[in-house]
Amino acid sequence: MLQALLSGILVGGVYGLFSMGFSIAFGVMRIVNFAHGELVMIGMFAAFFAYSAAGVDPLVAIPLAFVVVAALSAVLYLLVYRRFVGRATLQQLLAAIAVALILQTSATLIFGPSAHAVRSNWGSQYLLIGPIFLSYAQLAAFAISVACVLTVEAVLRKTSWGKAIRAVADDPEAAQLVGLNSQVINITAFACSGALAGIAGAVLVSYYPVSPHVGFLLMPIALIATVLGGLGSIGGAFVGGIICGVIQQMTSVLWTSALQDVPLYGVLLLLLAFRPYGLFGRVSAH
Amino acid sequence: MAGTIDSGAPVPAGLPGRAEFRQLGYGVALVALVACLPLLPFANSYLIGIVVRALIFIALGQAWNVIAGIGGQLSLGHGVFFGLGAYGTGLLFNDFGITPWVGAWLAAALAGAVAVVIGAITFRLRGIYFALATVVISLAFEKLARFYFALTGGDTGLAVNFRGTAPAVMQWREPEAFLWISLAVVLAFYAVTRWLLRGNFGLALQAVRDDEEAATSAGVNVYRTKLLALLLSAAMTALAGTLHLQFYLSIDPGTAFGLSQAIQIQLPALIGGLGTAGGPIIGGAIMILLSEGTNVASSRLGLDGVDVLAYGIVLLLIVLKAPVGILGYIKSKRLQRSGRAAPAGGGD
Repeated sequence: MLQALLSGILVGGVYGLFSMGFSIAFGVMRIVNFAHGELVMIGMFAAFFAYSAAGVDPLVAIPLAFVVVAALSAVLYLLVYRRFVGRATLQQLLAAIAVALILQTSATLIFGPSAHAVRSNWGSQYLLIGPIFLSYAQLAAFAISVACVLTVEAVLRKTSWGKAIRAVADDPEAAQLVGLNSQVINITAFACSGALAGIAGAVLVSYYPVSPHVGFLLMPIALIATVLGGLGSIGGAFVGGIICGVIQQMTSVLWTSALQDVPLYGVLLLLLAFRPYGLFGRVSAH
Repeated sequence: MAGTIDSGAPVPAGLPGRAEFRQLGYGVALVALVACLPLLPFANSYLIGIVVRALIFIALGQAWNVIAGIGGQLSLGHGVFFGLGAYGTGLLFNDFGITPWVGAWLAAALAGAVAVVIGAITFRLRGIYFALATVVISLAFEKLARFYFALTGGDTGLAVNFRGTAPAVMQWREPEAFLWISLAVVLAFYAVTRWLLRGNFGLALQAVRDDEEAATSAGVNVYRTKLLALLLSAAMTALAGTLHLQFYLSIDPGTAFGLSQAIQIQLPALIGGLGTAGGPIIGGAIMILLSEGTNVASSRLGLDGVDVLAYGIVLLLIVLKAPVGILGYIKSKRLQRSGRAAPAGGGD
């Protein structure tokens, strides 16, 4: 039980990291990025590529994943999402679904449909504390995730860019009135959203095999974490991610790992059903 | 094409215009052509098989169009009803020997019942939140179908016990019979769509789509209307699922409940024209052409999955450039060209 709780927290740290990215895109631009899981997947492939081509450890390849996915996100924003800023519409969701399909099938065409795993010499080792064993890879992943989250929080609180982002996420109308809703804010926020997905991908691939379909597994987690954490607080998504990780691990122990995502979906449905309008913080469900 | 430029505006009964007659003529000609396809000299099983695939795709699109196009509720969970239709029919046949001619209706009833439960939970939500709730429901079904392999056959899926050509259990070695059955289903679904566009229930549903508050104040029970429409749409989707199962003789969790399936179900209506009677027909035909074309190209290149890439690109282009679909696009061009003159072709 304690084992499940601890591994859940470790796994959830990475979930929290990319969920924060998802939450930034939704908070600042009201964009439900259905392709967010695919961005994580591309971060995973970028790090895997560095590993298989040059033998670089995935954690060393974090800057590569960061740059690749941030750049891709900026391009996606300019090509697609730019048109939907401020309106979480069905059109926007469909466009994001199309982007997800395109990224996923492109990855399949380039890398093949099968899963690839990184085999580093330390990643498969475990730290034993009494009856508890924790994977070094997951410990490292959690530490890096927390470091990134703290950095992002600091940037959001201290810099003028971060303050602008938080202001827009908090109250888009008021931010618009004081002239904060600029293209520059949006494009950098979206790139930042993608960068977090990219970092999470590089971290995740150190212990989790990458395949083109992994995005469709991760996107719902980002969505659920964002809902759990509540909107307006970007840091809330990180806590939501950790809760997701713990629910998954608990399910694995008490029921079966094959169905570890099902209670998560149940949690989302319950939240949606019982808080239909006040769900994403103050955003109405219209 | 059989598709009419249908705005959903009621046309005075008994006064069909010239354009209406012309469209009727095209429609009858097209149906006759498809029905007589096996008689044509160049027809072979491969070609007929493609047309059957197209018809099943169209039927799925028509079923989804009922709730999404006419009802305005963008369901991303129709894979659930498709899968229930396919798995339901297959399990009833394999385990209990119930012929698909009966099993199809039982499975459709099951899908309808599940739809009411899903609707009861999710119709408290609107727009994008409804769509996201339906996503996780279909994901949950996929996971459960993979896990309970004793019932569903797990990852490998379910294979129908094949008895060769046996019309009593909806099985044939050759695709001709499927051509006629799926053509009949598409025609029936077309009639349902036309009825929804003109009939009282459908008008209430369209009122709900356009403005829930206004519909409520006009005396429409919004919640009940949406539930009934989802029930109808789910039952239709399940029937198309039965067709799919009988034609391919197998179903697996990914094909049934997977997210890509749920996305593909939407494409015919989105491409052709959401909420129109002809849209899913045109869109489904285009999708099959696209998929066959890319499959030929990809088998030459030795690549797999190019068709889904093409779907993604087309979906993106449609959403960005022609959100009203091909029929809506043609209609708006036509209105532009005719300027202030009365629009031809049954526009509003």
